[in-house]
Amino acid sequence: MKVAIIGANGFIGSRLVEVLHLGGQHQVVAVVRQPSSLALPARFTLEWRLGDALNTTSLAKSLAGCDAVVHAAIGDPRQIERMPAVLCAAAAQAGVKRLVYLSSASVHGQIIPPGTTEASPLKADFPFEYNNAKVRAEGSFFAACRKYSLAGYALRPGVVYGPRSRWIADLVGELRTGQAWLYENGGGLCNSIYVDNLIHAVDCCLSAARGTNEAYLVGDAETVTWANFYHLVADSIGVSRAGIHALSQLPEFDKSFREKVENTVAQPWVQSLLPAVPYKLKRATKTVLASWTPPAPPDAWSLPSAPRPHITQEVAMLQQNRWRFPHAKASQTLGYAPPVTFAEGMRRSLSWLRFATELV
Amino acid sequence: MPTTTATHTPQPVILVGCGAVSQLFYLPALRTLVARGEFSVYALIDPSAKAREPLASAFPQAHQLESLSACDAPANSLVVIATPPRFHASQTLEAVARGWHVLCEKPMASTTTECEQMIAAARDAQRILGVGLYKRFFPSSAYLKALFTTGQLGELRSFAIAEGGPFKWPAATPSFFNKAQTHGGVLLDIGVHVLDLLIWWLGEPARFLYADDAMGGLETNSRVELHYANGARGIVHLSRDWATTNEYRFVFERGIVAWKTNDANGLTVQLAGTPSALYTQLITPLSPNLSTASSTLQASNPQSFIAQLQNLAAAIRGDASVFIPGEEGLRSLRLIETCYRERALIDQPWFTPAETTRARQLAAQP
Repeated sequence: MKVAIIGANGFIGSRLVEVLHLGGQHQVVAVVRQPSSLALPARFTLEWRLGDALNTTSLAKSLAGCDAVVHAAIGDPRQIERMPAVLCAAAAQAGVKRLVYLSSASVHGQIIPPGTTEASPLKADFPFEYNNAKVRAEGSFFAACRKYSLAGYALRPGVVYGPRSRWIADLVGELRTGQAWLYENGGGLCNSIYVDNLIHAVDCCLSAARGTNEAYLVGDAETVTWANFYHLVADSIGVSRAGIHALSQLPEFDKSFREKVENTVAQPWVQSLLPAVPYKLKRATKTVLASWTPPAPPDAWSLPSAPRPHITQEVAMLQQNRWRFPHAKASQTLGYAPPVTFAEGMRRSLSWLRFATELV
Repeated sequence: MPTTTATHTPQPVILVGCGAVSQLFYLPALRTLVARGEFSVYALIDPSAKAREPLASAFPQAHQLESLSACDAPANSLVVIATPPRFHASQTLEAVARGWHVLCEKPMASTTTECEQMIAAARDAQRILGVGLYKRFFPSSAYLKALFTTGQLGELRSFAIAEGGPFKWPAATPSFFNKAQTHGGVLLDIGVHVLDLLIWWLGEPARFLYADDAMGGLETNSRVELHYANGARGIVHLSRDWATTNEYRFVFERGIVAWKTNDANGLTVQLAGTPSALYTQLITPLSPNLSTASSTLQASNPQSFIAQLQNLAAAIRGDASVFIPGEEGLRSLRLIETCYRERALIDQPWFTPAETTRARQLAAQP
């Protein structure tokens, strides 16, 4: 099968290229937006094309002659919402019938109500515009699949980790600088999925005989707590588990001025008004926001303080989660059976980290 | 209008190739030199009018041309070649044959054979051929060179260099990643600077080991292990894939020196036996006596780039020798060619055994 991978330079896309190309079962077409994004796909002799995931004509050209397309492109909330409609229109124009769209388990939020499955209704009222955008994007994906009679599959992975994952790299940074923390002994469930398990799910979608126009939750085989995740990484890099801040209370989160503006701008009603705003004004606003910096630290008589936990609202909510997503639907309909254990996935992820940071 | 009156006639320049390097580096450098009356831009050459546009706005008097053959610049003009490397040899040969001097961007050419042809042609035509390895002009580079040469910190024991990060260069075309248009990846791109500096500082290594992650295509990660005659060992990691520390660290007998990539006038020095490291910004040399004259900062990164052009102009006038002639540009390229000839596949430990086997097969294919 000739498979186009949109976003072939990203974390998931680049591993997808590696697995499919080295596996040899599929012919890969790597699709990226700009020449500078070709560095990773260009390690191989394979076909690559330039295509803009926000432009139907451009994307359709890049999908020509392909049998299937996997959408692994990322963007800001506004772009996330627009991409599925462009994807489906482009696929229809190019004659590509099978689509795999990488949605996200975040359509259910960060703290998932117990009992949640794919059948649970979705609401776009989360505090993060990313989640709301993913909810709308998935809806738009299925609507467009129906409109163009395409076989669409949406995958909802949770915390995807692996080579080139920020979940690994950022955590290592926080562990090394004494900023890592766990809430209530890290007993929350992180709904992890090693990137190769996600790619296995993609492969299932590429060959599935049924289950089109449905969403599927996918994850690792094991129930993984945040403590499992953090401790494995800490042990691997030689940071004492005792150095991880143990929190029993989480702070209130006030959005910064910049976050408030960005969230407001991402609202669909604001988006509909934006074309009327002069370009120069939009540009000036962006410049002001980009230059916005928090106030300077206290005076010269202060002493360096011990490292403090770096707590973001997103991770604070994720660590409170107590529900593990089932992936029974993916198993029964698509034949999903995660091939890589959590321990092995972490071993491979951390071996990548050493490759990326300790080659010298 | 010139802000400073130069003592010489402005050096005419023909800029060949109006892509990212010309727009980001040569445009501001030449704007400064033109304003000082040291240079004049005679022609801007690129088949793409869109690419020429930003430069044409900065230098409205310059002729806009699609090819070098259409240019009628006077003899002794300086041709700056900032095109993709596969064009460097033919354009240099044409330029020197027409009586022009050349500053050729790095890498000097696609192959060392081409470099040798370029050097021979410039020599036969008695024209200057300089290579754009401007990091040698950094005061930090010169300081390190002095440390290696004078042995103030004793013998070099070892070094580690990590440079690069996700590829962000605003390339207008995919030529950086097209094997038909370039024969190397990150080693050829940023490695040419790193190896040039190492060769300048330390001479050629006695032996080396090279590995990268090209699996039929062009590498994004390279690792070179270098061994020197005095027993020093160094490792270089270059990446277009993931952020590195972008740091050079040299361990001497009596101290450690760290240098951040592209920090043209800063170094961190740890002298053996002292309780702290010194982060130093390089300034003009001190005199033994207290004096009222204040020290000034040494050249910045952009000022070093400008210094390269000034060196070429001085060399053309006969007031200086060219700091980085073609023979020097050839040396790092020769080492890179040897690396590619002896390349091994770098271990990518997240691959499955089956993927590793297949990757080795792909890497072994010519």
